Amino acid sequence: MTASEVAGIAALTVKVAALATAVNVVPGVLLALLLARRDFPGRSLVHALVALPLILPPVAVGLALLKLFSRRGPLGDLELAFTWKAAALASAVMSFPLLVRTVEPAFAAVPRRLEQVAWTLGRSRASTFFSVTLPLARRGVLAGVLLAFARSLGEFGASIVVAGDIPGRTETVSMALWSRIQAGEDMAAATLALVSVALGLAATLAAETLARRRA
Amino acid sequence: MRIELDLRSRAGGFALAVRAAWDERVAAVFGPSGSGKSTLLEAIAGLRPAEGRIALDGIDVSGLPPQRRGVGWVPQESSLFPHLTAGENVLFGAPPSRRDARRVADILEIGALWERPAAQLSGGERQRVALARALMSAPRLLLLDEPLAALDLPLRARVLPYLARVRDELGTPMLHVSHDPHELLGLAGFALRLEAGALVAAGDPRDVLWSAAAAAGLSPRENRLAGTVASRPDAGLIEVALDAGGTLLVAGETAMGARVLVEFRAEDVLLAADRPGAISAQNILAATVAGLEIRGGTLLAKLEAPMPLCAQVTARAGAALGLREGARVFAVIKAHSCRALA
Repeated sequence: MTASEVAGIAALTVKVAALATAVNVVPGVLLALLLARRDFPGRSLVHALVALPLILPPVAVGLALLKLFSRRGPLGDLELAFTWKAAALASAVMSFPLLVRTVEPAFAAVPRRLEQVAWTLGRSRASTFFSVTLPLARRGVLAGVLLAFARSLGEFGASIVVAGDIPGRTETVSMALWSRIQAGEDMAAATLALVSVALGLAATLAAETLARRRA
Repeated sequence: MRIELDLRSRAGGFALAVRAAWDERVAAVFGPSGSGKSTLLEAIAGLRPAEGRIALDGIDVSGLPPQRRGVGWVPQESSLFPHLTAGENVLFGAPPSRRDARRVADILEIGALWERPAAQLSGGERQRVALARALMSAPRLLLLDEPLAALDLPLRARVLPYLARVRDELGTPMLHVSHDPHELLGLAGFALRLEAGALVAAGDPRDVLWSAAAAAGLSPRENRLAGTVASRPDAGLIEVALDAGGTLLVAGETAMGARVLVEFRAEDVLLAADRPGAISAQNILAATVAGLEIRGGTLLAKLEAPMPLCAQVTARAGAALGLREGARVFAVIKAHSCRALA
């Protein structure tokens, strides 16, 4: 395995994780806010559904996605199956619970009273969110986003079902690692394992640094 | 400005119903904790659902969201935005065209704090900044929910005059909640007293306060008597004709005819079996013991003189005097033991 092959696999992995995170940020933050601030019928059910990908076998999630996006599936017209975007989608679904579950307590920790004060000072709910709630919860939000990104870097089970392991097109670090182990290429497998350690460490360190930075 | 309230609010097992109207610039709300004081303010601010009418100068705002009520709110605990400076907090709700930030900052003496992060302000500074912030949104009514409760007594005494300056220099109408009504006697022209969500008294603050004391609410050891200054027999001495009957000579300089609240501690009331002869104390009142209460080594005597009084003596002194219900005694109170609150 050449260095440029390894670099290509690493780059695709980062691209997949970046798209997965980008897709997740807005719905994840909004859902976390809803769960932190509103008591509505079915709230517990929503909570449980959000956590589901954490508990289900990733391969089962991949299968469900494949049924949805395969050529004859209800969303087959999008032609996503077996593309890198399908890997990103699978990563997004798998990391969504981590994002929501990390961000929700950060929003819940912002005193309600501060938002109410902002309302009495004439600020709309949207303006209050951007000027009070989000700035005060920003560390938790950033930590949730980075955690989801880091989780996506290592996604395997769901992605391999819905995106397949197509070298150069959908093959991420974890897929390449698996195929090299299958082929008995120990040196290549060790190299890829080190790459995944480096990527994961970089993302986690970034999360830690951001979480610790004050003011 | 005329403020009219006729509102009902329900939350959980608690029901609040208040109906009152006043024109005074500063109104005080008091009552025991859990009586619904904060609930009332939150209902007026639009932060909790309520039925009925909240009229400011005849305009009903009860259907409007909090953003459009024109009601400022300073809650009990510190409510500054911790990620902003003092100045950014003050200007948070101000329309960009407002130029009187300097005036508000001068009145509340917060100009020097402007660049400081809110998290680094002291308790008194925080409350002054919170007050300035509420004022800068140009409210038609300012709601103060025990803004001084978190401060210790000396600090409270330093912040209180700022509220008087807001009243006098900006003229913003205020509705001020406190569980220490004394704090508000000098400030408020109207008072409401709540109990278990119901309005039990409203009107002149001294009358409302005395009704609270009479309802055995506050502190049985404190004597608080409302009255009017009837004469000024000497420099630094006033004679107060009490509403409950009788007069007291009290150290003070309050003008003739002024309404005052006379207060003194139960342990500053001496009891004597016979009328004392030559004595420096200015008040010697013939009284009947209406009730006795023993607490540890002390005896709390309720007297009718004819105004109701509380005297606290040691159990030993009580035994020596032969105190019992119906006994005739003389209550002796120094003029300097009494405070007259105008």
